[in-house]
Amino acid sequence: MDLFRKTLDPVIALSAIAVLNIFMFLLIGSWTVGGGETMMTGLAAQAVLGEETLARIPFWSLVFEPDWAYWKMYISFGMLFGAFVGAVLSKEFYLRFPRRLNEWVLITIGGLLMGVGIRLAFVCNVSTFFGMTPEMNLGGYLSISGILAGAWVGSLIYKRILEG
Amino acid sequence: MLLSPVAECVLAFLFGSVVGLLVQRSRFCNTAALRDAILFKSYRNTKALLVAMIILTLGFTLFISVGAGNTLHFDVGLNTFAGLFLFGIGMVLAGACTVSTWVKCGEGNFGALWALLFTFIGMFLFSLVWSHTYWPPAPASMTGEPNLAALQLGFANAETLQAKLGIPAIFFGIIQAAVLFALYRAILRKEARGKAMHEKIAREHSTARPVLVSSAGAGGTVPQGVPATPAD
Repeated sequence: MDLFRKTLDPVIALSAIAVLNIFMFLLIGSWTVGGGETMMTGLAAQAVLGEETLARIPFWSLVFEPDWAYWKMYISFGMLFGAFVGAVLSKEFYLRFPRRLNEWVLITIGGLLMGVGIRLAFVCNVSTFFGMTPEMNLGGYLSISGILAGAWVGSLIYKRILEG
Repeated sequence: MLLSPVAECVLAFLFGSVVGLLVQRSRFCNTAALRDAILFKSYRNTKALLVAMIILTLGFTLFISVGAGNTLHFDVGLNTFAGLFLFGIGMVLAGACTVSTWVKCGEGNFGALWALLFTFIGMFLFSLVWSHTYWPPAPASMTGEPNLAALQLGFANAETLQAKLGIPAIFFGIIQAAVLFALYRAILRKEARGKAMHEKIAREHSTARPVLVSSAGAGGTVPQGVPATPAD
């Protein structure tokens, strides 16, 4: 099958995703990832710390109450599954590890900043570009301004590390 | 349309599976769409992002015009800008955004799994801080109106514009889509200019090369890339 032999044009892929996302918007809500990741964090924290300890952190009762039926989580599980199938069928699945220590450090800091940023804003990059801005939500324009400024600062740091 | 929680989860999983497959096969990356445009002036992913946003803007606002669709509802403010600013730095440093961490995990990338783990840790750390500051306001206490004391601007989207101005949301959607299309066209023109310049340089090199080759073949020492003159 050609799909698994050649790289798909991202314009075609994203156009198809956009059309599907419109159906999602009509049925349950547009594509998002950050909310599902937060719910996974809550469920993981509940499993590790226990319900009583988690109940002492108001965020997990006032903002995100752990719930297995939170549909947004299943988009992320689906993406993991779909990517795995795509990688296996196109023979692109293999274990890869960052080689240098500074890569591990950058990924760690980057991951932490993404997690804090999503929760501070109540949105992730997916909601920004594929949900809020197409809905012409004021938050979409604030988010785009923030993510562009952040990506620019991040790129300067990244460039300096690449050169140094 | 009201779906049962199980149907919602199944639908979300199916949607995610198709998205994961398409993103994996196209190598689309949201981080690259911004980082590569800034650092390398490469727009492969940026163009795809803009096309998707044009389709979504027209689709969402069309359905909002007739009262359909499930829009996102929560107040925004300084935290929205600040949060995405931190996120933007983080995604460039980690080399992946929320989508590509899941997709790369599916390809066996341990670095992406590590980034995901620390995204969860970052969220949990934030939950501890929030539980002391209670800022930004929890969704239950959002009013939709500006609240400057809490640095909140309230809520507004194409739906509220339609309600306040009496103009269908699709009208505003067409304007936004036109702006996005203008950006897309500007990128295409920039790429065309770059391609024309590359072709010109290639043509100049190909006309200069036979002379260089003949000089070198005769034991000449003309360095490569220096245009040769007939006197050589």
